[in-house]
Amino acid sequence: MKVEFWGQEFEVNMWVGCTGGFLIAIMSSMFGFGGGPFMVPLMTVALRLPMYIVVGSSLLAIFFNTAMGTMRHMQFGNFDLILFLAMFPAAIIGGYIGPMIAKKVSPTVVKRIACAGLLLLGLNLLGVY
Amino acid sequence: MNIRFRVLPALALAMILLFAPQVRGEQPGTGAAPAATPAANAPTINIDKTSLNNGGDILVTGKAPAGSQIYVEVFSADKKVRANRFDGKKDEKTGKIPYKFYITTDMPAFYKILVPKDMDGELVKAKADGSKWKYSEVLKKIGADAAYSAPAKIKIDNYQATIMASIIGSRGTLLPEMDEKATKSESMKLAKGRFRSVGNLLGANVEVQADGSYSAKFKLPASQAPGKYNVTVTAVTDRIKEGDKETVKKVKSEVASFENKIAFPTMYLNNAGTSINLLWPFLLCLAISIFGILMGAGGGFILNPILVTLFPLPHTIVAGTVMPTVLFAQATGIMNYNKVKFINWKLGVGIGCAMLVGGFIGPKLTEMITLDQFKFLFGWVLLVLAALMFWQTTPGYLANNKKEQAIMKEFKKRAEEAAKAKG
Repeated sequence: MKVEFWGQEFEVNMWVGCTGGFLIAIMSSMFGFGGGPFMVPLMTVALRLPMYIVVGSSLLAIFFNTAMGTMRHMQFGNFDLILFLAMFPAAIIGGYIGPMIAKKVSPTVVKRIACAGLLLLGLNLLGVY
Repeated sequence: MNIRFRVLPALALAMILLFAPQVRGEQPGTGAAPAATPAANAPTINIDKTSLNNGGDILVTGKAPAGSQIYVEVFSADKKVRANRFDGKKDEKTGKIPYKFYITTDMPAFYKILVPKDMDGELVKAKADGSKWKYSEVLKKIGADAAYSAPAKIKIDNYQATIMASIIGSRGTLLPEMDEKATKSESMKLAKGRFRSVGNLLGANVEVQADGSYSAKFKLPASQAPGKYNVTVTAVTDRIKEGDKETVKKVKSEVASFENKIAFPTMYLNNAGTSINLLWPFLLCLAISIFGILMGAGGGFILNPILVTLFPLPHTIVAGTVMPTVLFAQATGIMNYNKVKFINWKLGVGIGCAMLVGGFIGPKLTEMITLDQFKFLFGWVLLVLAALMFWQTTPGYLANNKKEQAIMKEFKKRAEEAAKAKG
């Protein structure tokens, strides 16, 4: 498939994109997270698209997944309104505070912390310690 | 171009519809086991408190016929929760996989049987089995199945699941209701899936004297369902073994009740079946969403594992509740990018369609796996993510990213100027 973006044309292998997107969507909706951290590498590495086209478009693709996943979770009665109401304002407030701090910290440092945190959390879930 | 702006209100409308709270009637507490007509030698029962404040200690005392085994059943009388189990294990006798899905909405939100102290050894053994312990077997070994009554008659729906049905996302075909015996045995499996550990379901803290008087110190943990709790004492006076068959002679006491009270910010989560101090998820979500923005990703993959490990929340509820919280942030993100025309709709919708199908199947799978499987799979997902994060901090990636970011800034500037010129 050919995709035009700001006057440049890119050739996108939709087979790879859709299969990858499908698998990522199953996984992320199963565990209840967005899927951005998997989608961005998929689109930049496997589809060889530049970052500036990926940021917005991957968000749009993920939105489809989140909307559908939300609907299905509700259908199965997996949604708890009170818990949601406790977390939703926090997510919005976080959304305002985050960008303010973002200018002051290096994303590389944050990512290294995240990497260590994820490793610990993952090993904990696997029952290693 | 107009179409783009028509899509957004439609999405917003869809979101509002999604957030409309589900109305669900709460059934009055009818599940309480009918008190057996007090027999002449029925045990007496006394509890030292009639109300607790978000858990606490309660002392159950009384007198039963001398020499009997005493079991104390404690359960939440008016709060019920959902429990489900997917049977995908090969049947050893027939070699077939049953693919059956069991679900009930009548499981008491709290259920525990207290057994005599001298049976502690069996409980320790069961604990050593880890997550593979079998509730029904342990109950039988310690004779507590004689006291197992509150969940024994709950309504359980069973479905024959097929791969096709799972893909469409239905639970399968509803099978005829199970008989009493099958319901009881399945209810034990559901109870184990729901309450997970030996310690949650059983406790060896009944002290019985030679004359038959007993006392049981029971601790209702914090974060349990509020409302009425029923306590019944079952005294097994005799067990007669004839070959394989065992006749159990038992007498039941009257039902004693106490009330568990909780106060804001601790609230009861109806679907999760537990109370929780709402400040914790709020603070956790705040911290993680800020961190998520700094990292350039959502925070769901950190928030979910923390929520399932730290709180007694079922994984289905966690996954189903965290997902909608990011929906809003994503929608605003899309709107902002769209303003500067930074979204390629052809690409986004194209891959989005594939993700739509994936998002349809995923939540079904959440329901079919147990918490342990959830944790196991999530653990691996997190390790992969950690590797991805690490890769994003390697020098090669960073150099490349710097270039990309510069191009992106340039494009963004142009886009903003173009949007301004137009506006």
